[in-house]
Parts: sequence; C-alpha cells; structure tokens
Amino acid sequence: MKFMKVNMTDQTIKLEDVPQDYMGLGGRGLTSIMINKEVPPKCDSLGPENKLIFAPGLLSGTSLVNTSRISIGAKSPLTGGIKESNAGGTVAAALGRLGITGIIVEGQAQEGDLSILRIDKEGKASLIPAQEYRGMRTYQFVEKILETYSKKTAVLCIGPAGEQRMPLASIQSSDIDGRPCRAAARGGLGAVMGAKGLKALVVDQGGKSADAIADPKAFNEAAKVLAKIIKEEFINVNMMGPLGTAGLVAPLNSMGAFPSFNATKGVLDGWENISGEAMAELIKKRGGNTTHMGCAQCVIHCSNIFVDKKGKYVTGALEYETIWSMGGMTGIVDLDTIAQLDFLCDDIGVDTMSTGVAIAVAMDAGHKKFGDGKAAIEMVKEIGKGTEFGRILGNGPAAIGKHFNHARVPVVKKQSVAGYDPRAMLGHGVTFATTPMGADHTAGNLVGLYLTQQLDPLKSEGQVEASRFIQIAMAAFDVMGLCFMASVALLTPEAGEAFLKVLNAKLGTQFGPDDFPGAMGIRVLKAEKEFNRRAGFTKEDDRLPRFYYEEPLPPHNTVFSITDEEIDSTFDF
Amino acid sequence: MRVKLYGTLSQQFPDYRHSEGIEVEIPEGTTVKDLLARLEISESQGALVAMEGRILKADDKIRCGVPVNVLQAIHGG
Repeated sequence: MKFMKVNMTDQTIKLEDVPQDYMGLGGRGLTSIMINKEVPPKCDSLGPENKLIFAPGLLSGTSLVNTSRISIGAKSPLTGGIKESNAGGTVAAALGRLGITGIIVEGQAQEGDLSILRIDKEGKASLIPAQEYRGMRTYQFVEKILETYSKKTAVLCIGPAGEQRMPLASIQSSDIDGRPCRAAARGGLGAVMGAKGLKALVVDQGGKSADAIADPKAFNEAAKVLAKIIKEEFINVNMMGPLGTAGLVAPLNSMGAFPSFNATKGVLDGWENISGEAMAELIKKRGGNTTHMGCAQCVIHCSNIFVDKKGKYVTGALEYETIWSMGGMTGIVDLDTIAQLDFLCDDIGVDTMSTGVAIAVAMDAGHKKFGDGKAAIEMVKEIGKGTEFGRILGNGPAAIGKHFNHARVPVVKKQSVAGYDPRAMLGHGVTFATTPMGADHTAGNLVGLYLTQQLDPLKSEGQVEASRFIQIAMAAFDVMGLCFMASVALLTPEAGEAFLKVLNAKLGTQFGPDDFPGAMGIRVLKAEKEFNRRAGFTKEDDRLPRFYYEEPLPPHNTVFSITDEEIDSTFDF
Repeated sequence: MRVKLYGTLSQQFPDYRHSEGIEVEIPEGTTVKDLLARLEISESQGALVAMEGRILKADDKIRCGVPVNVLQAIHGG
C-alpha cells in the first residue's frame, strides 16, 4: 500500500506508506476523499494547487474478475466541482500488481515542459522529457510508447485537446490490444493533466509486488463464486457479450426516451440503422469482432472492434453513449460516420458525449443541419487543430450555447446529460441533477429497473428513492475498481454476500451489509457534496435546464415533473 | 400481427429478417405472457414487450394491429 507523490513543480517523485486516513480506500473513494481534504475548493483547476489523482480500485490487480477500472480525480475545469472519471483498460491492474494505491500528481511543470511518468515492473518511477510527443494524437503516441518500452505496457495519455487544456479533454486508456480506445472522458481531466505538464502515465504490466491479501484461501474461494455469478448473469450473457452497451439503442427508442435532435424528440427517425443489432450485423459481415475483451481480467467482453468495408480497424468499443451523442443528438443515422467520430474523439482526446452534445447544440442553433455527418467530422477535427471554433467546441455544450445565444443546452453543472431523456425516464433526471459530478450516466443509471418493470419511468413515485439507492451503490462499487456490468450483477443478496467475503478476505476486515455498499457509498458522496458546497455550489446548481420543465418530449409529450423539494431530498444523509 | 425481435432473440428464428419481422396470428385477449410462450422465448432470456412507447407487464393484453417490439433487458452503460 503505497502512495506515489509526483511533484511536477520540482520534478520529484516520492513513495510513502498510505496514511491511516486513507486506509481501506481505492478508486473513487480515494480520489474524492483526498480531493475534499487536500485540494482548495476555490482553486484554479488548471493551476498548481489542484491535484490529479490516479487510483486503481481496491481490488484491482487481484485475481477477481472485472476489477480493471482506474479512477482519476481532480477539481474539474468543466464543472468547477469535484470530478471522478473512471476507465477500463490495463493500467488499473498493472498498478495493483505493483502495490500502488494511488499516484498523486501535484504542482505544475514550467510552461512548455512536457513529461511522461514511467513506472517499470520493479515499481521504479521516473519523469521522462516528452517534447518529441508534443501535439501528438493518442493512437500514434501509444504505438510509439509500446515500440519504445514493450507491448506489455499500460498507458494513460492525453491528446492535443488535453495539451491545449480544453474542458472536454479526456484521458485515454490503452486496452488489451494496446489501443487508446478507453477513456476517463468526463469533466476535462485531460486538461488538468495537460496543465500539470504530463503527457502520459506509462506502466509496465509485469509487476509482481501486489499488496498481500489477508486471507488468500478465503479470497480465492469467494472470487471464484463471484466470477461465475458475473459471467453467467443473464444480461451479461444475452446482451453485453453479443451487443455490448449498444444494445440499449432499441430499448431506449422503444420507450421514447432516446434524446434526439438535441433533445427535441424521444425517438430518432432511422434509429434502426444505428442500433446495436445493426452494428453487430455490420461488424460480423465485415470481419470485425462483436465480442471483444477490452479490459484486463474481463469475463463479459462487452467491447467490440468496428471495421470499415475493407475489414480495417476504425475504432474500438463503439458504445451506446457515443452512438447516442454522435448519432441520436445530431440525427446522424450512419454507423460508419459515428465510428469515425468516435475514433477522432479518442485520437484527439475528448469526451465523445459532451462533444456530440456540443455539436448537436450547434446544429440546433442553425450552425449546420442535423444529420450532416461531414460537418460533424469537420467540427471535431477543428478541436484537434485548435481553431477558434474548435476551442469553443472544446469548451463544451454550454460554451457553444453561449456562442450561438441558444438556450436549449442539455447540461447540468456544464456537463452534458447522457442518453436517457429525463422527461421519459424521470429518475435519470434526478441523477443528472443531483450527482456531484454533473450530469452523468454512470452515477446512477436506472434503465435496468425500468426495463424489468420494477419502476415506471413516467411516474414520479419512487424515482428519488431509486436514484438515491443506485447512486450510493455506484459510489461504493467505484471504490473497488469493478466495472458497471459486474457491479449490477452483484446487487442480489447471494452475490452481495460473496462480495463481502472477497472484501473482508482482502482487507482482513469484518464488514457487513451495512458497511458495503451503504456506508461506503454515503461516505464518498458526502465528501463530494462537501467539496462542491465549499467550491460555491448551492441547491440551485442541482437543477435541470428549464427546457426539460417546459418543452414536452414526443412521443409521450411529458415534461420533467419531479419537484425541486423532491430533488433536494435525494441526499438526505 | 407483426413482431420485431431485438437483442439476441432472432438467433432462434433462422429465417428471421429484421426488415419484415415475424407475422404472428394471435387471438383477441392475448397477453404478453401468451405471446412470449407462443414464440418459445424463455424467462431466462429476459424478454420484454414494448408497444406504443411502453414496456408492458406480463398480464397486459396486446392490441391487434399495433407494432410490437420484443426486447431483452439490459443495464445502462
């Protein structure tokens, strides 16, 4: 259990034991609790006082399956509040195998300096000058890094958008095949990394100094039980493996909740052309891969490899949120165009969701026509080039709305909503409004409850309670490094019991069902709310944009009907 | 009535063409449960029936002439 403290001002690296205050924390728990304690809430997010924290999950690097999420945290340049964004890939397991609990990047390099933080398989770290990589896009960069070091290197890096400190900049994460197609995309953490003067974190995957497990026998037994539960969970078998998250396109359109044409319709004309089913058929026909292992130790394989007509790689893991933002919101019903947009965003290093929504706002304002794929591609390219318009776009949907004096801007705390319209799925409106992260799909997603008819998406009753429950659960699972698909498979009593056995065997603790996920999730959310409050956020920031209350969404023609009082009761702890 | 299949449900219908869907003759009063049984779709497949923007309950009756989508449950991602 070690912290690696990297001071970019004086270019020093120190290893220290994890202090008592942070023991038993990983992932989002570590990033959020540390930011709340150590980062001045009113600081400049792109200045030396901000800290950029890389934290593998508490279980990353162990033998437990699907624990390869890395949490990255800082004060967000997009929202001005606390931010945790997590990504799959290979780096979380690599750090876990080195016994590194967190890397805390502090201070700021001199203007113009750029470095790579490299950690070898013995855990030795160094800052390496990276001027030769300045301005380089992520695919080329990772290719060069793998050539320079080894194919078994895990990479987190920024592209031109991060170096230009744009609030939509992502941190890209390399997958099993060494492609930077996973992303800690939300909240502009790539801009924080760029402002620190850090191009990449490069970690050898061959580490063999993982933290000791308190009771290895009990851990292995329970981990086997969990692996079976996660692998055999019916949604993972039926949908996540064969279609991935793209399988959501059909249900969302069938429920009239697929925000389309900048959130003016709940069903996209031509959605069948960009559904998960259509995508899988196209990929198979062209010789791509519909069921791909993207992250270390994954047994679900929700990833895919999208290829062009000649069978050549275009992008990895074309996922629901990107299909929605780049297709639904923009009215582009062509998978090849969407795949190209996905690749460009990963390569330049920007969030596909907020970028797609920003393009949709520009189209809605009349800048270009809905459905104009070529225009969308040119707009994203402008971000990479850093043109004047590209820089406005790279500031996000709110900046684009301001530029065009256009009011229909679907953001909360300046971060774009996700692909679930709050007027047709009321609980998502509660989550978007209240999560300390700004509107976000991973903070508390209720679509599974709606589809399994545990909750009516159009009735107010039960939405706040459901959002509260799932937000607490997700905040807790984000501590562990588990992916979303694995986490939801663990919400049954049987799986919950097995998970507690794993956790207690790992840490030597006696946690019960009240401790996890409940108390753990609440502790994380309280820290996040506290930081935002001290940063100046009030309950007025926990509101959806006015148009959700005023413009009915076809086909249900309903508006968002949860009252402010109900919204404010979401975090009643 | 015309039924369209989503998720991986079409795999059990070798001649299924999505543009056409499946033509199923059902008597008045057919419920969601009846339709799924008729299509030999088992509970473990997590099938759901959507009609007019709503997910129907197992005992809800299906209205003849209205397009029906048979989906599979999925979590948000």
